[in-house]
Amino acid sequence: MPAPAIELRGITKRYPGVVANRDVNLRVESGTAHAVIGENGAGKSTLMNILYGMVVPDEGEILVEGATIPMSSPADAIAAGIGMVHQHFKLADNLTVLENVILGDEPTGRVGRIDFEAARARIVELGDHYRIPIEPEALVADLSVGNRQRVEIIKVLYRGARVLILDEPTSVLVPQEVDELLKNLRRLTGDGLTVIFISHKLDEVLAVADEITVMRNARTVAHTRPAEITSRELAQLMVGSELPTPEPRTVEVRPEVGLRLRSVSTRGRGHETSLSDIDLTVRSGEIVGIAGVEGNGQAELIETILGLTDPVSGQVLFGEEDVTEAATSVRRRLGLAYIPQDRHREALLLDAALWENRILGHQMHPPINRGVWIDRKAAREDTERIVADSDVRTPSIEVLASALSGGNQQKLIVGREMAGDPRVLIAAHPTRGVDVGAQAAIWTRLSAVRRAGVAVLLVSADLEELIGISDRILVILRGRLVGEFDPAAIGPEDLGAAMTGADAA
Amino acid sequence: MPRQRTILLVLSAVLALAAVTACGGESADPTTTTAAPATTAAPTTTEAPTPDFKVAVAYDLAGRGDGGFNDLAYNGAEQAAAELGLELTEVTAKAEDTDQDRSDRLRLLADSGHNPIIAVGFTYAGPVAEVAAEYPDVWFGIVDDGTVEAPNVAGLVFAEEEGSFLVGVVAALESETGHVGFIGGVNVPLIVKFEAGYIAGAKTVNPDIEITSTYLSQPPDFSGFNDPAKGKEAAKGMFDAGADIVYAAAGGSGGGLFEAATEGGYLAIGVDADQYYTAAPEVRDVIMTSMLKNVNVATHTFTTQVVDGSVQAGVNVFDLEAGGVGYSTSGGLIDHIVGEVDAYAEQIISGEIAVPSSTS
Amino acid sequence: MIETRIERLLLQLIAPVVAIVFAALLAAAILHFTGADAGSVLGEVVAFGTTPASLVAVLNKATTFYLAGIAGAIGFRMLLFNIGIDGQYRLAVFFAAVVGASVSLPPVLHVTLIVVVAMAVGAGWAALAGYIKVTRGVSEVISTIMLNAVATGIIAYLLAPGRLAERVAGSNNIRTPPIPSSGWFPGFGVAGKEVFGFTLVAVALGIAFWILLNRTRFGFELRASGLSLRAAAVSGVNSKRMIFVTMVMSGGMAGLVGIPQLLGSSHQYGLDFPAGFGFTGLAIAILGRNHPLGVAFGALLWAWLERSSQILDLLGVSREIVTIMQATIVLSVVVAYEVVRRVNVRRQQKLVGRSEHEGIDNGAAA
Repeated sequence: MPAPAIELRGITKRYPGVVANRDVNLRVESGTAHAVIGENGAGKSTLMNILYGMVVPDEGEILVEGATIPMSSPADAIAAGIGMVHQHFKLADNLTVLENVILGDEPTGRVGRIDFEAARARIVELGDHYRIPIEPEALVADLSVGNRQRVEIIKVLYRGARVLILDEPTSVLVPQEVDELLKNLRRLTGDGLTVIFISHKLDEVLAVADEITVMRNARTVAHTRPAEITSRELAQLMVGSELPTPEPRTVEVRPEVGLRLRSVSTRGRGHETSLSDIDLTVRSGEIVGIAGVEGNGQAELIETILGLTDPVSGQVLFGEEDVTEAATSVRRRLGLAYIPQDRHREALLLDAALWENRILGHQMHPPINRGVWIDRKAAREDTERIVADSDVRTPSIEVLASALSGGNQQKLIVGREMAGDPRVLIAAHPTRGVDVGAQAAIWTRLSAVRRAGVAVLLVSADLEELIGISDRILVILRGRLVGEFDPAAIGPEDLGAAMTGADAA
Repeated sequence: MPRQRTILLVLSAVLALAAVTACGGESADPTTTTAAPATTAAPTTTEAPTPDFKVAVAYDLAGRGDGGFNDLAYNGAEQAAAELGLELTEVTAKAEDTDQDRSDRLRLLADSGHNPIIAVGFTYAGPVAEVAAEYPDVWFGIVDDGTVEAPNVAGLVFAEEEGSFLVGVVAALESETGHVGFIGGVNVPLIVKFEAGYIAGAKTVNPDIEITSTYLSQPPDFSGFNDPAKGKEAAKGMFDAGADIVYAAAGGSGGGLFEAATEGGYLAIGVDADQYYTAAPEVRDVIMTSMLKNVNVATHTFTTQVVDGSVQAGVNVFDLEAGGVGYSTSGGLIDHIVGEVDAYAEQIISGEIAVPSSTS
Repeated sequence: MIETRIERLLLQLIAPVVAIVFAALLAAAILHFTGADAGSVLGEVVAFGTTPASLVAVLNKATTFYLAGIAGAIGFRMLLFNIGIDGQYRLAVFFAAVVGASVSLPPVLHVTLIVVVAMAVGAGWAALAGYIKVTRGVSEVISTIMLNAVATGIIAYLLAPGRLAERVAGSNNIRTPPIPSSGWFPGFGVAGKEVFGFTLVAVALGIAFWILLNRTRFGFELRASGLSLRAAAVSGVNSKRMIFVTMVMSGGMAGLVGIPQLLGSSHQYGLDFPAGFGFTGLAIAILGRNHPLGVAFGALLWAWLERSSQILDLLGVSREIVTIMQATIVLSVVVAYEVVRRVNVRRQQKLVGRSEHEGIDNGAAA
C-alpha cells in the first residue's frame, strides 16, 4: 500500500485558554477526495491552516507522501505540493485572470521581463486538461463567483500542487455551479490529485467524498466512507447529540397583510438589477420564500423594502400604511426587522461591544430610546437577556462583536431583530455559513416568529431551506417575479429549473 | 475598517508633508553665533565695568519668509556683534504663534541676559510694548513698526516707498513698450508701500505708462515670499501681456522673475539687497537695479548705538536721506540714467516730491 | 468585568506612551548625531517646560488646540475629514471680531453674541462642504481645502482699510476695530499669569461632546456610521443627513478655535492673528483617538512640546526637532493604535473561544 498523500499524527494546537486541535489524526490517501466536516469552532479551519503552513502546531507531525515535512509557512506547503483555495477568494479584482494566476510566481525571462506567453499557454493547457475552462484575458471583476473559484483552483494547480485544500468551496455557489465544481473535483482526483475539502453540506459530502473525517470539539471523532453512513448519522456525529426534527407546518396564516409591494419598479445603478413591476404580499404569520439565482434582483428587493432605494413607481406598504416615502428609521419604528446575508457589513459594528450592537436598529425604539437619550442600562440588560435566551456563547457583553464566531454573531443578530415585536421580518440567507446546530436553532426561531404573527420574507439560495420552511415560494428572475410555487408540491430540481428560467413558465 | 485605516494613512502623509514644508519654510541658519574673539573688544571700551551685552534677533514668520530682508536684519546685527565681540542669538517663530508666544519669547531672551533684543516684523509691536515695560534696562528694537512708545524701545522703520519710487523712475525711463509690472510677495500694507512708490515713480516719468500689479499670496498665507515658481508664473504672464520690465518685492519669489526675464530676454528689478550679487550668477545680467532696503544698516546702527549709549528711543526712520533705502547700479545697465534718477532722489530728500505710501 | 476594564484602559494607554517614548528616543538620537548633549538638552527643556509661567502658557495654548482637536474628532468619528477647520476658524473669528466691535452690549450678552457669530460662521462654512458632499458626492477633503483658500481670499479682501478693518498708524499691521471690554472674556490668575477664561468653556464643551457621543441617540448614530456606514444605514440612520449634520457640528466647533485668543488676548483680528491651528487639530484628534479625554491629553502634550521648544533656540538646537518629534508621535501612534487594536481583538477572541468551549463541554455533559 502506497504512503498516504497526507498524514497528520497527533496534532495539537493550543491558544491561551483554548485548545483548537487536540490530538488530531488525519490520513488522506493519494488520489481521493477527503471531506473534513464539523460544526463551526470544531477546529477544521485551524487544521487546514496547519496543513497549509499558516499555523505551526505545538505537537504532532505532518507527513507528505510518507516523509515528515517541517511546515512553517505557506511557502513550505507550496514546495511540498500543497495548495489552498480559501473560502474568501484572494484575487485582485482589477487584474486579469492571467495576471492573478501568476501573481507572486511570475515566470521571468531575461532581464526580469514577465513571460506572459508561456504563462498563458500553461493556463490554457491546465484548463483543457482538467476541463476547467477559463479565459486568461478576462478581468476578474467581471467574473461570476463560480468562475472566480475556478481561477483560484487553476492558480493552485499552476503552482504545481498535488494536494488541494478547499475551505467550504460550495458555500458561495448556486446549485448549478455546485454541480460543476463537484464534477471538477472528480476529474482532479481521477487524475491522481488529492482533494481535501471542508463542508457543511452533508449531501454534497456524501455525493463527492471518498472518505470523510468528522471533527468535534477540537478532536477528530470519526472516520468513515459515504457508503457506510447516512446524512442524518453524520450530522449527529458532528453535533454529538440528537438533531432537532423539522417542525411540521401547523400554523394558520392570518388574513391581515404584513407587507405588500404594489407594482414596484426600480432603476438599477451600475451593476444593479432593475426591479420591474413587483407585486408581493406577505400576510402576518406567513413565511414567503424568494428563490432565485443570486444577482436577479434579490438585493434590490431588500433595499427597496428597507427604504434604502426609492422605487421609480409603485408602493410599499406595511399593513395598510404606505411607507413608500418613509425613511428607513420610520420603517424600523413601524416594526421592520432585518437579518442580512452579510452580517459583518450590514448588521454589526465589529469594533463595538455586544451591548452596543444591541442598540443598532433600535436606537429609535423604547426601551433603549428615551427621547434624545440612549438608555445604556436598558441596552445592557436586554443584551444579557438575548445572550441567555439565544445561547450566545460569550464571556461578557462587553466583548467586541468581532470576537464572536459567526454562529454566535448570527444568534445575537436574530435575537436583536426579534426584540421589540417586529411586524415584518426580512431574512436574507439566514443560515449561510453557520453550522448545523445554529442552523436548526435559526429555523426554529423563524417558525416561532411566524407563529407570533410576523410577516416573514425569506430570501435564500438554499432550496432545502426554502422548501422546508416557506408557506409559499416566489421565484425571482432578472428583476421580475416569474412564478409562485407551493413548497409541498415542488422538489429542488423543479425549483432550480424555474430559477434559471429553464421551464419558461 | 479599511476606509478608516486609509484615512489615517492619508492624514499621516499630509501631516508629514506639512511638517516637511514647515521646515522648508524656515532656513536652517546656525542659531547661535559667537562672533569674533573678544580680545580686541575689551580694550576699546574704556568705560566702566563691561556692560554685559548679548545681541538677540527674534524673527517673525512675515519677516522670516521674505528672503533678503531677513538675512539683512541678521547681517547687520551679526556685523555689529562681530565688531563689538558680542554673542548673538537668533530665535524663530511660526504661523500659529499668538501674541503670548511672542511675548514669552522676548521674555525668555531678556531673562537669559540678552540686550539689545531686535524683534523683526510688525507682529511684535504688542509683545514688545508689553515686555519692554517689564524689562526697563533692556533695549528693544523693532523692525518695520513705529507704534511702540517706550523709553527703551526703538522703532526701526523704512521709507520703502522712496526707494521704490526711484526704481519706478528707472523702469519708466527704460521701458520700450510703455508697460511695466510689479509683483508683490504677500498682500500686506508693508508690500503695498513698495507698490505705491513704484507706481508713483513710474507715473512721474511717464504719466501714460501702463502698470500691472499682482500679489502672489494673501495673508495669513505667507508663501508668496518664498515661492519662485509662482513668481516665475506671474512674471511670465506680465511679459506675455507686453510688459518689458518687472519689479518684484517678493523675497525669495523674485528668483522666479529673474528666470522668466532671462528666458524671455526682458529686464527685472530686485529688492532689499543688491540682488545683482545675491541672485544666481546666470540670471544676474537681467537685474538692471535693485531697490535697497538697508535693514542691515538699521540693525547694525541700533546695536552699535545701544552698546555705545547713543541710542534714541522712539521711531528711527531710515529713509532716502538717512541712507536707509536707495537703488543699486551694479551691472552697469543703468549707468546712463544715474544722473536723472539721482535728480529725483534729490527732490524727494528736499521734499519737492512727496511719495505716497499706499495705493488708494 | 472590572479587571478587563482596567486591562482595556491600559491597552488604550500603551499606544500613546509607546509613541511618545519612541519619538523622544528619536529626538535624542538626532540630538546626539548633531553633536548636542541630548541629556542636558532634554533636561533644560523639561526644566523650562515645568515653570509656572510655562504651565499657564501651555494651558492657554492647549485650550485652542483642544477646540481644534474636538472639531477634527467630530468629523473623524464619522470618517469625515474636515481639513477645513483652518479656514472655518479664521473666517469665524474674523466675522466674530467685526461683529463684536460694531455693537455695544452688556458683558455677558456681548460675549455670547461673539461666540454665537463665530459658531454660526464656522458651521455655515463647513455646511457648504457638507452640502456638496451630500448632493454631489464631492469629497469633503477636496472641498474643504478649496474652501480654506476661498476663506483666505474673503478675509484678505475684507481685511482692508475702508472695508471692515483699519490701518494702525505707524505700523504695517491691519486690524479690525478693537472689541470693547464688555466683549472680553475675563481670565483668571494662576501663578501671576492669566489663564484664558475660555479654557473652562472648552472643558465644558469636551464634557458635552462626551455626553453627546455616549449618551444620545445622535451620538450613537454618529459612532455607528463611523464604524460601519452601511450597517448604520440599514439600522435606520439617514447617512446623508448624518454627514451634513456632522460637518456642521465640526464647523461650529471649529468656529470657536480662535475665540480664546480673540476674547482673552487680542480683542481684534489682524494680520498677526495666529493661523494654522486646523492641521494641528487634526493631528491632536488622531493622537487622542477622537476621544474627548484623549484629545485633551493630546492638546496638552502638543502645547507643552511647542512651549518647551522655545528654549531650544537659546540652547543652540534647531527647533525643527520638535516638529520632527510631533510628526513622529502622530505617525507612530497610528501604527501603535492599530497594533493594540489587533492585540485586543485577538485577546477577546481567546476569551470568547474559552467560553465557547466551556459551553460545548457543559452542553455535552448535560
